[in-house]
Amino acid sequence: MRALTCGLVMVLGLLVAQDGSATEAAGVRVVPVAREGRVLVSFSMPDALTDELHEAIQSGLPTTFTYYVELRRTSAIWPDRLVASATIAVMVRYDNLTRRYQVTQMQDGRTEQVIVTEDAVTVRHRVTTFNRLPLFSTRPLRSDAEYSVRVRAHTRPRISLFAWPWDWLRRWAALGSAKFTFLP
Amino acid sequence: MTTLFSDTAPSPSPPPRPASETAGRGPRPLRDNPVLILLAILLLLAALVAMVRLVDSSAQFTPDFLSEVVLYALCAVDLTMLVALVFVLVRNIIKLVVERRRALPFARFRAKLVLVLLGMTFVPSVLVLIVGGELIRNSANRWFSSPVDEVLSSSREIASEYYEERQTAVSRHATRLARMLAADAIAARDVATVRSQVAPDVTEGRVGMVEVYQIVPRTSPPEVVSVFDVAAPTLPGDHVGASAERLAARVAAGNTETRFLEPLRSGGELVRAAALVRAGPGGRPVGVVVVSDYLTGELARHARRIVGAYEGYQQLRVLKRPLEGVYLSFFLMMTLFILVSATWMGLYLAKRITRPINMLAAGAREIGAGHFDHRIEPETVDEFGSLVDAFNTMAGELAASREKLERSRLELERESLEAEGRRRYIETILKRIATGVVSVDSSGTISTMNSAAARLLTLDAAAVGQPYAEVFGRSDLQPLADLDRLGRRQQEAGGGQEVALEHDGREVHLAVAATPLRESDGTAGTILVLDDVTPLIRAQRVAAWRDVARRLAHEIKNPLTPIQLGAERLRRHFAGAAEPTRALVEECSSMIAVEVESLKSLVDEFSQFARMPAPRTVPSDLQALLEDALSLYHGIVDGVAIVRRYGDAVPLVRVDPEQFRRVVINLVDNAVDALTRQDGLRRADAEGVVTIETAHDSTNAVVRVIVADNGPGISEGDRVKLFMPYYSTKRRGSGLGLAIVRRIIVEHGGSIEVDENVPAGARFTIELPC
Repeated sequence: MRALTCGLVMVLGLLVAQDGSATEAAGVRVVPVAREGRVLVSFSMPDALTDELHEAIQSGLPTTFTYYVELRRTSAIWPDRLVASATIAVMVRYDNLTRRYQVTQMQDGRTEQVIVTEDAVTVRHRVTTFNRLPLFSTRPLRSDAEYSVRVRAHTRPRISLFAWPWDWLRRWAALGSAKFTFLP
Repeated sequence: MTTLFSDTAPSPSPPPRPASETAGRGPRPLRDNPVLILLAILLLLAALVAMVRLVDSSAQFTPDFLSEVVLYALCAVDLTMLVALVFVLVRNIIKLVVERRRALPFARFRAKLVLVLLGMTFVPSVLVLIVGGELIRNSANRWFSSPVDEVLSSSREIASEYYEERQTAVSRHATRLARMLAADAIAARDVATVRSQVAPDVTEGRVGMVEVYQIVPRTSPPEVVSVFDVAAPTLPGDHVGASAERLAARVAAGNTETRFLEPLRSGGELVRAAALVRAGPGGRPVGVVVVSDYLTGELARHARRIVGAYEGYQQLRVLKRPLEGVYLSFFLMMTLFILVSATWMGLYLAKRITRPINMLAAGAREIGAGHFDHRIEPETVDEFGSLVDAFNTMAGELAASREKLERSRLELERESLEAEGRRRYIETILKRIATGVVSVDSSGTISTMNSAAARLLTLDAAAVGQPYAEVFGRSDLQPLADLDRLGRRQQEAGGGQEVALEHDGREVHLAVAATPLRESDGTAGTILVLDDVTPLIRAQRVAAWRDVARRLAHEIKNPLTPIQLGAERLRRHFAGAAEPTRALVEECSSMIAVEVESLKSLVDEFSQFARMPAPRTVPSDLQALLEDALSLYHGIVDGVAIVRRYGDAVPLVRVDPEQFRRVVINLVDNAVDALTRQDGLRRADAEGVVTIETAHDSTNAVVRVIVADNGPGISEGDRVKLFMPYYSTKRRGSGLGLAIVRRIIVEHGGSIEVDENVPAGARFTIELPC
């Protein structure tokens, strides 16, 4: 039984390691900026809207792109400490009758913006690129301290053949991150 | 006799086995509990039914629920079952391998049974899984076909185009009315003017409804206020005015999205479009016209149904893989369920089959080890149960037989011990008695011989087992060689017969009785009983000699005095006679007197021998007595040294001091005499030595007194007769000295022996009890 547990832990470790390497390959560009009492976060994930997801949108499936953004205090010795986090969810619904996309952007469960557009490019931009989102307050930040902003993402619905139990690990793997030193 | 039985206790029978140690009496494992097994099967069936229902209703689930929850759950269950299957398989394979390596009973049979059951289940299950999987994939591919795709796409295009056209038309109306409306009238909220400009479109049926809003100046974001609205009477009244106002506000704020579809509760839809009213071409916006047209419920439903069918089809295409995953997972789950069940059932069945056999084998081993109280608890009422019952019956009968045997064995052992005790008892008696007993079997072989016989016959223990004729063929045992003759003579004489044997010049008189041992089937051998009657003969002789001595003393001593007196008278009578006569008489009378004196002393010795008193023994120090006796020789014997070697811790011995002193003097006299005789037997250059030794033999409880000399010694022939009365090697000895010595020692309960001294001389050994 002990051997079995050790084996499972090893397999899990390998999978996590695989997820980590996939994260680096994704290459999400994250730019945090502290200005006027807020941390403005810009990030872009052009590959988030894959052909399969585009098809899903076009089929009228409500498709959600969820981004988990974390602000962490970096440490050389200890694991980075979480300072604040925000969840950005963008739900796209395409009306095949009117040929319009309804894009609803929410932050931490609160609807921020709803737009209706016929333009697919606008939709792609809306679900993959976020500019200067004022996600965090600078009040808990300390001067001259180094912080990092990590972005993780996942989409719904799932369109893979099997849902491996370890898929949830991918949700917790950072797709991109950026460090900054807070200068008030 | 009791000790004969105490050293060999009967071997204890094996202790009864505790009930807890007997096989099959421990707590039954959970897996053998039929209620629990039934419950587990029911639970599994319930889970199976739930899964089937889940898959049945999968079409009603949202894609999210299907791909996130159902698929996850199924995959998790599959993985868990796979892990369980692998675990069960690996664990039991390892167990079976270990059992086979340890050569446990029925390990090979169990392994084969499990493998067969697994093979019978595994192969069809995997085949069904492969075929079923392919079937699912092919079926999923068949869901989508080009004609259906085209029909649905075209229908959706038509519906969409229709909606587009209607929206475009309403937009055009809105734009036209916005151009036509006077900005001043809106700014001034001149309802009459506005109505006159927009109402004809409604009344003439070009549009369903027109609403005009004024943009409140200097508001940001811009606010709109309704100025006028007019609707056709055919328009359903359940539309929401707020939606038109929101559209107007959005357009006033610069939003380019000017069209809007508002579903109505009655089933239809309102197609709304808005346009800005500007104060002149390129001027500032002062108001917003919202034009609405009504799409009937039937039309909207058809359009929505078309789009719904298209979207459902397209979503099915998009979700084809997760759906395939759901069905495959379910199929995989069923397969794994069957495999796990089959594996478990195989192992369970193998255990159910081999367990009673194992218990029987273990029981047989226990019985073989002597645990006859071992029983097996029957767990089933089938053939195995009957077998177990039969085994228990057999074990019971074996236990009863064993008990009987044990009792018989104990009885035999007791009898054997008694016989052995008797044998030892007889053996001890035979060993201790002075009578010699020799048993000869029917084949003429000596079976037993006690120590007395060995001593009397000067044989050793090696004679036992040898042929009688061979052993008794020795020259000195010839009188006993013919056993049959001895037997016959005994029958004729009606008792024992005396036989004289001579060992090393020493005569031994034996009373011999040869008795045949008769059994029902014939003669079983002969018992030769030997009694040493030498002391008796010797005592008889001594008594005879004493009688002779007394008579001689009496008969000789009486005439001696007259002879002596006569000789005196003759000498006195012829004292005055002539010289030759007187000298002759004198010489003869003197000779008579001397001889008479000699005869008197001889007669005195005889008298003394005949009338020797019984010894009056007192505890005496032998060393002191010896020194007292030896002091007589101090300075009177030339050329002879007396050496003393007294032992340490010699105890007091009960002796008559006077008689003992006489014994010592007699022996030392003899030794000195032997050393001082000039008969050429002693080497001239050797000094005469008389050695006096004492020693205590605690083992035999005797004190030994040894008188030895290095003189010429005593020949073997003389040694035999040395202690007999009137036997002497001296010229003038009476032959009574050593006879008296022996008599004194014998009357003290001791013994005296003479041997050759080493390197030369004679050695007298006296043993006195202490």
